[in-house]
Amino acid sequence: MSDKGGETVPLLAARDLVKAHGRTEALRGASVELRDGELLAVTGASGSGKSTLLHCLAGIVRPDAGSVTYAGQRLDELPEKRLSELRRTEFGVVFQFGQLIPELTALDNVALPLLLAGAARTEAQGEAGEWLERFGVRGQGELRPGEMSGGQAQRVALARALVTAPRIVFADEPTGALDSLTTEQVMTALVRTVREAGTAVVLVTHDDQVAAYADREIRLTDGAVAAQGVAA
Amino acid sequence: MSALFADLRLAWLLTRGSDRREWWRVGLTVVGAALATGVGLGVVALLSLDGWYSVSFGSGLFDSPSDRQNVGLALGLLLIPVLGFLGQCARIGAVHRDRRLAALRLAGAEPWQVRRIAALESGPACLAGSVLATAVFVPVLLHAWSSPTAVAWAGIVLVAVAVPVLGAAVGMVSLRRVVADPLGRIRRTRPARGPGRLFRTVTWLLVATELFIAVTPVFGSPVSFDLGPVAVILLAVLAGLTAIWLSGASSRQLGEGFAAGTGRPALLIAAERLREDPWATARTHAAVLLVTVVGSGFAGVRQVLLAHLAEMRREGSLGTDMAYYTTGIDLTGAAILIALALVLTGLAVGTAESLATRRRGLAAQAAAGVPHSVLARALLLETALPLTPAIAVAGLGGLAISVWYGSAASAHTAVPVPYAALLVPGAVYAACLLAAATSLPLLRRSVRPAELRYA
Amino acid sequence: MMAMSTRHILLGLLASGPSHGYDLKRRHDERFPQARPLAYGQVYTTLQRLVRDGLAEVEGTDSDGGPERTKYRWTEEGERELAEWAREIAPPAPFVTNEIFAKVVVSILSGGDADAYLRAQRAAHMERMRELTAVKTARGADLATVLSADYALNHLDADLRWMTTTGVRLTTLIAEVDAA
Repeated sequence: MSDKGGETVPLLAARDLVKAHGRTEALRGASVELRDGELLAVTGASGSGKSTLLHCLAGIVRPDAGSVTYAGQRLDELPEKRLSELRRTEFGVVFQFGQLIPELTALDNVALPLLLAGAARTEAQGEAGEWLERFGVRGQGELRPGEMSGGQAQRVALARALVTAPRIVFADEPTGALDSLTTEQVMTALVRTVREAGTAVVLVTHDDQVAAYADREIRLTDGAVAAQGVAA
Repeated sequence: MSALFADLRLAWLLTRGSDRREWWRVGLTVVGAALATGVGLGVVALLSLDGWYSVSFGSGLFDSPSDRQNVGLALGLLLIPVLGFLGQCARIGAVHRDRRLAALRLAGAEPWQVRRIAALESGPACLAGSVLATAVFVPVLLHAWSSPTAVAWAGIVLVAVAVPVLGAAVGMVSLRRVVADPLGRIRRTRPARGPGRLFRTVTWLLVATELFIAVTPVFGSPVSFDLGPVAVILLAVLAGLTAIWLSGASSRQLGEGFAAGTGRPALLIAAERLREDPWATARTHAAVLLVTVVGSGFAGVRQVLLAHLAEMRREGSLGTDMAYYTTGIDLTGAAILIALALVLTGLAVGTAESLATRRRGLAAQAAAGVPHSVLARALLLETALPLTPAIAVAGLGGLAISVWYGSAASAHTAVPVPYAALLVPGAVYAACLLAAATSLPLLRRSVRPAELRYA
Repeated sequence: MMAMSTRHILLGLLASGPSHGYDLKRRHDERFPQARPLAYGQVYTTLQRLVRDGLAEVEGTDSDGGPERTKYRWTEEGERELAEWAREIAPPAPFVTNEIFAKVVVSILSGGDADAYLRAQRAAHMERMRELTAVKTARGADLATVLSADYALNHLDADLRWMTTTGVRLTTLIAEVDAA
């Protein structure tokens, strides 16, 4: 995979990851590399370890064995406080649902990462508004997640993940609960934005049409990488 | 009859198959029911005694009928927090249970069948508590009282049966909305309702009564019984109700105010949660405030009374042994402390429950890098913000009671300033924050990434 | 039953007014970006057949300074025929020539590696889907491009889903084929 030329030092690299949930081994020696600005799809059947791999790569979960290296630092060895900071500043995460705080408006949900970084409220809201605009949900800024459709909520979630200008966005089935047209709209918005910003993406999905938005696909079978396909 | 057994079996299967929280609910319900039964039995035993007895404990406090009546009344008041605690227990795992019962409705169960199953889930736990309390109480009673009257026995049986029946009824009432709708309240967009008409009616009635009592002596109306104690109790209840209203209304005001202005994430989250559902916290805090009113009032009254008694003893005008009075005061204090303990447990349970129901969202926040400290601060602020003005007012209510009592007593002696009434609200406030803080370890567990794996 | 054909598509393009053969080819390739581009020779012969059958007629010729070009327009009969064709439902393919399935079975029969074949086929399918998705998500892509890309994507996706489930059940299939 990685050529020895050295021109493509991976931004994120995982080696021989092993992770068990109780008696089930979710990952059994999975290795992945992600280059800067690359869109990587992780596919596989239900229970093949896709989400666990994403959690390990994003520093949400510590692997039982193996290493995760991001920009020269071993994520699996960093303390939780530092990991949390990393996830807040250099990574963005999007899940199928649940990442928005139900009591906050769309605008405040997007502004939250900036507030956590110490930005002033009006400044953060101004920036958040621009991101909502980019994803076409500016008009929903004052709504709360319960008052939005699934597609709108996921666009707000994407805005929240991207508002800090992260280097990597981790998306776990971001369109899992959406119909195909809404999926297309959300994915198109995501792909265009990350291409412009040069953000790398790890996209976990069971939908091959969604995987086709990525540059490259790795396919997991029983917790290990079964196949890798690269864009020409 | 066979239908009942089928429902009972279903209720048992549902309880047995559910998670640990369900067993918490059962355990706490047993404790609550045992306490309710114990208090009820105590009242019955005291009131069924007629005439003068020499009771071997309590420094003669239980000897005369009128004293017993007063102690019985105080014990009866203790039932309020105990029942509130039982109600709080019914709320543990409420969201989970709502869903389960809604699923039963979807599977074709009739509304009444679901109600029966719900009742059967809480009834047996109450029965266990009631049996437990009765089993302890009867031998103790027989030890102190060689041959209880038939009235006493009848009362004991009545209380022992009434508690589980009431418990089952409360379970049914609390689930009435779920039963009506097979889809349950899975996507809840509850409007922030204010207190109902009943609440307002009761409040105004109390205000009217209080005013009536206040003006009565002015016109020298020939009221045959002493309105003093009634006025005290009514004033306490009124202050409590006002505090509930204040807590809810100020929750929203504070929520809106802070949410609009703050740039601090923890405060923003807490404020928006308060704004979203201000009355939920008001209900949770209602009991806290009532205890604060009574507690601070008691502390003030106690201070005045003790000073008064000490002075009387110096003058040699004290009729009975000092222990007669102090036992009464200590018993009342103990009852208030028990009430406070129950209320704090209820608060802790409520906080834990709120965490448990949104643990997936919390895990997602943690995964997105929201620091644990921000989530923890938001949790504490959610309790601290609305309690601040409400406890202050409840404390003032208590102070008013003590000052009023003090001025009544000042006819006879010089009265100390009842500063003790002011210490209680502060102590209660601190205790509430501690009770909310008991949920922090649960928060740490809730934000584990494993929670992300379940919807 | 009338099959889908180039003649109906050309007739449809003539509906907006008389055109030259070259014009028709260009507009066809624009409108149906994911279809196989029409060869000019094919356009020319199809137009002649339409004239022969009375569905189109020659409008005239012009040269515009370049080589002489014939303009065609549709006839009333052509309009009727087109309306009829457009109304008629497309038969839900009763016999699918499934090359992929044939290859899997043949590879089992001849002792080849069906699993490796399926994986390679999947990679090729995914590659094509990525191309189509890139076309679709490019800024300025018009709706016709998006829809025709979608059509192809959904068909490829159907193949992929079939290949995925077949891959999982390959052991059973091998046993079945070998037993027969």
